[in-house]
Amino acid sequence: QERIKLKAIGQPLATGLIQKNKEQPFFENFAARTGLPIDVDYKPIDTLGIKDTEQLRVMKAGLFDIVSLRVSQNSRDEPTILGLDLVGAAPDYATGRKVAKAYFDTADARLQSQFGVKLLGVWPFGPQILFCKKPVAKLADIKGMKVRVYDQNLAKFIEMVGGTPVPVSFADTHQSLSLGVVDCAITGPSSANSAGWPEVTTHQMAIGFQMALNGYGMTMKSWNALAPDQQAKLKKSFDALSDDVWKYSEELFQDALNCNAGKDPCTTGKKFNLVNVPVTSADIDLVRSAVTKVSLPVWAEVCDKSNAACSKTWQATVAPVLGLK
Amino acid sequence: MNVALIGLAFFSMLALMLVGMPIAVSMAAVGIIGGIAAYGVPFMDSIAPVVWGVQNESLLTSVPLFVLLGELLLRSGIADRMYIALSAWLGRLPGGLLHTNIGSCALFAATSGSSVATAATVGTVALPSLQKRGYPMRASLGSLAAGGTLGILIPPSVNMIVYGSLTNNSIGKLFIAGIIPGLLLTLCFMLWIAVSSLASGKVMREPKVPLADRLRSLVHLIPPAVVFGIVMGSLYFGIATAAESAALGVIAALGFVWQSGKLNRELLRNCFVSTARVSGMILLIVAAAFILNLTVSLTGVAEAMTKWVAGLGLSATGLILALIVFYLILGMFMDVLSMQVATIPITYPIATAIGVDPIWFGIFIVLMCELGLITPPVGMNLFVVHGIRPDKGGIEDAIYGALPYAVIMILFTLLLMAVPQLVTWLPAHM
Amino acid sequence: MSSDRPSVAVSADRVTPAGRVDFKTRLETVLATVFGVIFLGLAVIVTIETLSRKLFNISLQGADELGGYALAVGSTIAFSLALIGRNHIRVDVFHEKFSPRVQALLNWISMLSLAVFALFIAWVAFKVIQDTTAYRSTAQTPWATPLIIPQSVWYGGLVIFALVACGLAWRATRLLLRGDIARLNSDFHPKSAKEELKEELDDLKVRQASEGAPS
Ligand code: NA
Ligand code: NA
Repeated sequence: QERIKLKAIGQPLATGLIQKNKEQPFFENFAARTGLPIDVDYKPIDTLGIKDTEQLRVMKAGLFDIVSLRVSQNSRDEPTILGLDLVGAAPDYATGRKVAKAYFDTADARLQSQFGVKLLGVWPFGPQILFCKKPVAKLADIKGMKVRVYDQNLAKFIEMVGGTPVPVSFADTHQSLSLGVVDCAITGPSSANSAGWPEVTTHQMAIGFQMALNGYGMTMKSWNALAPDQQAKLKKSFDALSDDVWKYSEELFQDALNCNAGKDPCTTGKKFNLVNVPVTSADIDLVRSAVTKVSLPVWAEVCDKSNAACSKTWQATVAPVLGLK
Repeated sequence: MNVALIGLAFFSMLALMLVGMPIAVSMAAVGIIGGIAAYGVPFMDSIAPVVWGVQNESLLTSVPLFVLLGELLLRSGIADRMYIALSAWLGRLPGGLLHTNIGSCALFAATSGSSVATAATVGTVALPSLQKRGYPMRASLGSLAAGGTLGILIPPSVNMIVYGSLTNNSIGKLFIAGIIPGLLLTLCFMLWIAVSSLASGKVMREPKVPLADRLRSLVHLIPPAVVFGIVMGSLYFGIATAAESAALGVIAALGFVWQSGKLNRELLRNCFVSTARVSGMILLIVAAAFILNLTVSLTGVAEAMTKWVAGLGLSATGLILALIVFYLILGMFMDVLSMQVATIPITYPIATAIGVDPIWFGIFIVLMCELGLITPPVGMNLFVVHGIRPDKGGIEDAIYGALPYAVIMILFTLLLMAVPQLVTWLPAHM
Repeated sequence: MSSDRPSVAVSADRVTPAGRVDFKTRLETVLATVFGVIFLGLAVIVTIETLSRKLFNISLQGADELGGYALAVGSTIAFSLALIGRNHIRVDVFHEKFSPRVQALLNWISMLSLAVFALFIAWVAFKVIQDTTAYRSTAQTPWATPLIIPQSVWYGGLVIFALVACGLAWRATRLLLRGDIARLNSDFHPKSAKEELKEELDDLKVRQASEGAPS
């Protein structure tokens, strides 16, 4: 039987344990994991010197067959997919999964028609939460503080709460916190742990602004080259992988929160002693309110320009799941 | 991908460069031809997003800004006055004005991102006085060529920016990491000048300058000191990113130029043309390097080389020693920026896989570039100082003059291997 | 040495024997002005942003993005200026050892290869523009910049680079066909460190003359 060789763009090497323990092993043992005669040449995107914002264009060029797609970054070229991960839509894993499920077909259809890429799975890095070097008792306390953000929607949300959003690259954030360029910063607890943010902060608040979603995509050309039974097997394997990552991500999230606060079990990071700020229903309401007040309108304006049905489809598929009218 | 094929591609690139093809074209050509040979038309379509990605890289914005900063200080005469002031202070040391050469290079390096610019600037100011006062030409040329290399070790440094952008390392950390080695290497150079001057039996010293005059001359050191303080201070205290600190430096330098009464349209035009030429040359090479990198990475060259090196069973120390020899030889023939961008995609993964600290490796690469600048036959700083010498004489004067400094640099690299904290301590305490 | 290549140190109002500022110098001045305005402007904006963030807690949010666009546009202009100034590095150690005829051939190939490379980049970049138009791509930043704005300016810069390169390659080709090897070699040989330094030394003389500084 002839073996098929596929090329895959992976997550950047430095993104952490999901890439290292789940994604890379899956692609490096592709034949065994899928039961198909396929070998994958897996390259983390940063080793290619390609920016993550360019993934969809590179996929369309046809040099690669599979991509581990970064949703927020690639909404530059396809804003429709950001509907998976609007700021405030999913403060926790359960909601995140519901949103991803409700919107999956919309995102898939759009990627197929625009880029010839079929969506095979969606998974999260995990909730992006708040770290501060000043005492905060509730989310509203960031009013008047400088908060490190990484994109447009988050910046608007921080402004809405009354903080000053400061875009700082991840690599520079530790120093910016340490020297007071920013008072707070937002990222996943595991990334924060490995970058040593707890050394320069005092509080963590486990409320998810975004789930930091990613997807697995495959070019239609490679997909259509497979027999129907092969396609079914492949889809099943990616479903299993995505499901596995959702669970793993949640374990990592809890573990990293423990590590940051100096609690047990802590198996994946270094122990620190951050204060855990309890999340109240008022905080959750505040984050949720971002959807209708900020992130949906801002996104709809951009998205509807490229895809007329964009926000309407979101309203029809995701809004009911979130209990929005 | 086998090592022989990689070697063939690498040497054809080197051959293209050596017959005089433009460096950027040589690198891009090997990258594009290799990529198309391996992957056909889809490879070509993938180049487009890569080119926009690298030209739109905000990290690299600091390259033209730092070049502009150095140009402003040079063309307004601030660098000239700096030399005169330093000679009043350092001239009494055994070796006289040679110390002033090193000191001026170090100080100018603190405001300029390029070694060639540093050697050219200080050399043009220094060589006429050195000749008039009877300093031996070899020692003079050597101190200027070697002192000039400090331009890329003492921050800001174009080579560090390029390293940081190719390997995703913090440029701020790299800059801060360069400070201690930069100062130490400066001291090593000066120590050598003092020792060799005392040993030669014919000790050169400058006449004593009255303290009052010396103190008055300090005013000429203020502009470079302030610019360096703003650039490094804003980085060290986390007020600014690399590009932001460069912008602050440009504005400060502009202020000093204006204050010196030299700010006019012609000066600005000259600064702009020069800055554009230098940064255009650098950025085209960097863009070509990213195209080459895509091929290198796709075809698995780095993995093949990593496996090959790992198969040799080298320790981190063994690897670095091997790399010193590799870069010493390569640096003889290649322009150092091209050497850096062409080899990092391969040597960086190998080094980090074997446990070498990424920031330390960045400083190591910069030192290897410095070495390449003063080793014949292709050594830019040798050409530079040879080109400015006011008397007639062969290039071998510059080569022999710089030789002791090349040895010092290699010994200094070994010192950094023995005591890596000299590099890693300061950035860890930012 | 080529007579029509203006040194950096020479005034913009350099005049040819015919009494007119030559085309190359004018083009250089225009491009250099645009380049300078871009980066001086950027320096001013970034300084204001940095200071206001530190002192008044206000962030303009976007200086970083602007820096990226400034580089994209500025670097294409810089490519052209480096081309006019013959600054795209070529190694010249072995070059001088060849016979004039071989040198001429190498100089011509080298200019031609730069033109092909510039055309290639411009062609490749056109795909970027096409995609951006097709997807209506919008930057994921606080400004939500429609990408087509910076990219079309960037593309314009690359077209200028390609035009300048083709113009020079055309001139080199004509010199080669005419058999004017001496002129071809003097106008297109790799710029040596000596030549670059001559410009520096000229500038130093100008500086010292204006200052009366000791030489
Ligand atoms: Na420097
Ligand atoms: Na050399």
